[in-house]
Amino acid sequence: MMYQNCMKMSSVIIKQFLPHTKSVCARLRSPVVCNVFNYSTKVTTTSNEDVLNNLTDWETLSKKKKISKAMKAYLERAQAHDEFMHKQQFEYNIGKRHLANMMGEDPETFTQKDVDRAIEYLFPSGIYDPAARPLMKPPEEVFPARKAAEFDEAGRPHHFLFYTGKPSYFKLMYDAAENIQQLYNFQDKVIRKKATPDPNGKLNLGATVWLTKDQLENVLVEAITDLEYDNFKLVMERLVSLPYAYRIKDFIDKYRKPLASQKFALEIPKPSYDAEGRAFITTYECLRKKARGDVTIRAPGTGKITINGKDLTYFDDIQSREQVMFPLIFTGMQDRVDVECNIEGGGPSGQSGAIRWGIAWSLRSFVDADMLERMQVAGLLTRDFRRRERKKPGQPGARKKPTWKRR
Amino acid sequence: MLSRSWRHLARRYSQATTFRTNENSPAQHSEKQEGLFYTMKPELCKQLFSHGGFPKSFMQQTKTFTETAVMVRQPALDLISCIKASDLNQPAIRYVLYGEKGSGKSLTLAHVLHYAHEDGYLIVHVPWVSEWLRRVPRHKEMSNSQTNEGFVDLPLDAAAWLIHFKSQNQTLLKSENLKVSKEYVWSKREKTEAGSPLHTLVEHGINRVKYACDVVDVLIDEIKMLSSSKQCKTFVAIDGFNSFFYPLTRLSTPTKKTVKPDEVTLTTSFLKLTHNDWTNGVIVVTADQLAVPDDHQESFLPRYLLYKKGFDHLDPFVPIEVGRYNEKEFQSCVGYYRDRLWLRGPPEVETELKFTSACNPYRFMEQCAPL
Repeated sequence: MMYQNCMKMSSVIIKQFLPHTKSVCARLRSPVVCNVFNYSTKVTTTSNEDVLNNLTDWETLSKKKKISKAMKAYLERAQAHDEFMHKQQFEYNIGKRHLANMMGEDPETFTQKDVDRAIEYLFPSGIYDPAARPLMKPPEEVFPARKAAEFDEAGRPHHFLFYTGKPSYFKLMYDAAENIQQLYNFQDKVIRKKATPDPNGKLNLGATVWLTKDQLENVLVEAITDLEYDNFKLVMERLVSLPYAYRIKDFIDKYRKPLASQKFALEIPKPSYDAEGRAFITTYECLRKKARGDVTIRAPGTGKITINGKDLTYFDDIQSREQVMFPLIFTGMQDRVDVECNIEGGGPSGQSGAIRWGIAWSLRSFVDADMLERMQVAGLLTRDFRRRERKKPGQPGARKKPTWKRR
Repeated sequence: MLSRSWRHLARRYSQATTFRTNENSPAQHSEKQEGLFYTMKPELCKQLFSHGGFPKSFMQQTKTFTETAVMVRQPALDLISCIKASDLNQPAIRYVLYGEKGSGKSLTLAHVLHYAHEDGYLIVHVPWVSEWLRRVPRHKEMSNSQTNEGFVDLPLDAAAWLIHFKSQNQTLLKSENLKVSKEYVWSKREKTEAGSPLHTLVEHGINRVKYACDVVDVLIDEIKMLSSSKQCKTFVAIDGFNSFFYPLTRLSTPTKKTVKPDEVTLTTSFLKLTHNDWTNGVIVVTADQLAVPDDHQESFLPRYLLYKKGFDHLDPFVPIEVGRYNEKEFQSCVGYYRDRLWLRGPPEVETELKFTSACNPYRFMEQCAPL
């Protein structure tokens, strides 16, 4: 009865579910699941509607009598995949509701953001690589997309480039070439009419880059070789270099993505001025390993370095001294600024690394944009978040294994 | 080959003005020569420093560079002008050189020693006190003192020092006006008569190693008397003087009893010499962190290194700090090392080396070695 009730309420879903195998129905009959289903009807219908509609409508296809062997094989694979995806989607939704209940929040308004937060809270992980940490994502993000049928029931391909093996890729190349041709024609036309080119029609690609090979593969849903990727870039560069390339901006933009990390250019603090009228910048929280400290830079100066009240001889070894002076020498500011540091905790390499970062971070206010970029490329503005790795029982170090001995 | 030596010659003359001075007499050195290198004659080096006096690393460097070039630095100039200006009829003035490790205390001492040699002083020079008290090679010989109860003799070290003393003062010892004041009886058959020249005493110590420590003790008394009576003027230089005041030595008697510095006869002799109860003399000592073990190297200041006892012993003295290179000295040193091909590479290297060595002469030399 519950099941009936459920069916009435979620008409859309049921339509999709009916043709499914018995196992799904059987599963639906279990009270807990039914209950959940009942409970979540509204959400499921709204959120899953497009997902389910996107799935291949194999049912209608299978009713046709005459189908090719290729089509048959494809249909079988598609069916299995759809089923699998459906199951995953279902489990994901249930899991999400459980998670919401565990966290004491409203399951109806529990979004993916909340899921991520809950997972991070419930399964805290110290694994360095974020990709290796526990996660719970909707199945369509976890499992790679698959192509829909590329041919009809009779086995005839839809796409005119099907037999190249990589229709999307070659279609892209074809479009690019066509665009180039069109732009040439347009240019000829302009010249013939002796018209002046549009002054503000200019393609600005400063803050974006071409998609990487992996990203392009994701977009095309096709594996491409390095050579093919190089060809893609070659053609697109050619396209962009044309004078009227701004006319096909939409096409170009599809294959470019914005360049990240331009933001620190905006956050550079303005130096304050002390009683002597010297500009100074203090950077707090200079960290590396276990060392913590702050760095003050004063300009103009004479290259005097003070570390905890001592000069550079605070560090005994050459490496640490080089670490400290590297940002100064790199920017050529070694005689123009004074440096004061207070640092504690950790050992010499940690302390010198922290000071290095602090000096580089403070120097941002005293160098021009070009140098800033070079500093970033040199890795001076990047924090080193590595920590000491713990020793493991049964072996002499974090990674070191005992000496191998036959017996 | 010829062209190569021509090139070297040309390079040397082109840079000669920047880091070298032709004034090879320390007495003539003044502020004008500050930061420049002067060359010591090989015969002189052999006479003064063949038994120690230069640090080991500097000896290696002189061998590599095939010359003994010493930089004229401010502390040495100060010291020389002080010595020139002081009145020798007053009790001997004590000077204490101090400074960080590797800043050039021993080389300053060597420079001043050269001056003293030139000026006709009788030189009493202890190259490195720790050699006696802290270094224990296999052939180290120790015996209980025959004359002083409860004291320890280091006969071999004392004899070696006498040889050093003899070679440093060859010319002065030959002159006849240095005479022993009273008779010393060493055994039934051996004795040194009153009025015999000083070098017979020294010879006796060298030939009869058993009595070397006693000879040193007597010699020092004689020197004090001679200089007080204006027979000669004496220059005392002791490197690593604070080693005399560190509570322990590394020596131990055959009964495994550790020896204190005060229980060594050589210590008592040289502490007698550094008392200022005599005139017509100059005493220069260094307080060096390297002369004592690691656990007592926190500061390079004389009060810390000499302890209260040594400080009171020397008080009053003139402290002279030997610091790191200043800008001018550093540039001249860079020029010298480049001339000797000890340092190569682009000029940017110098800024970096200045940072990493923090202008410490020894560190700078070490860091240039692989370049």
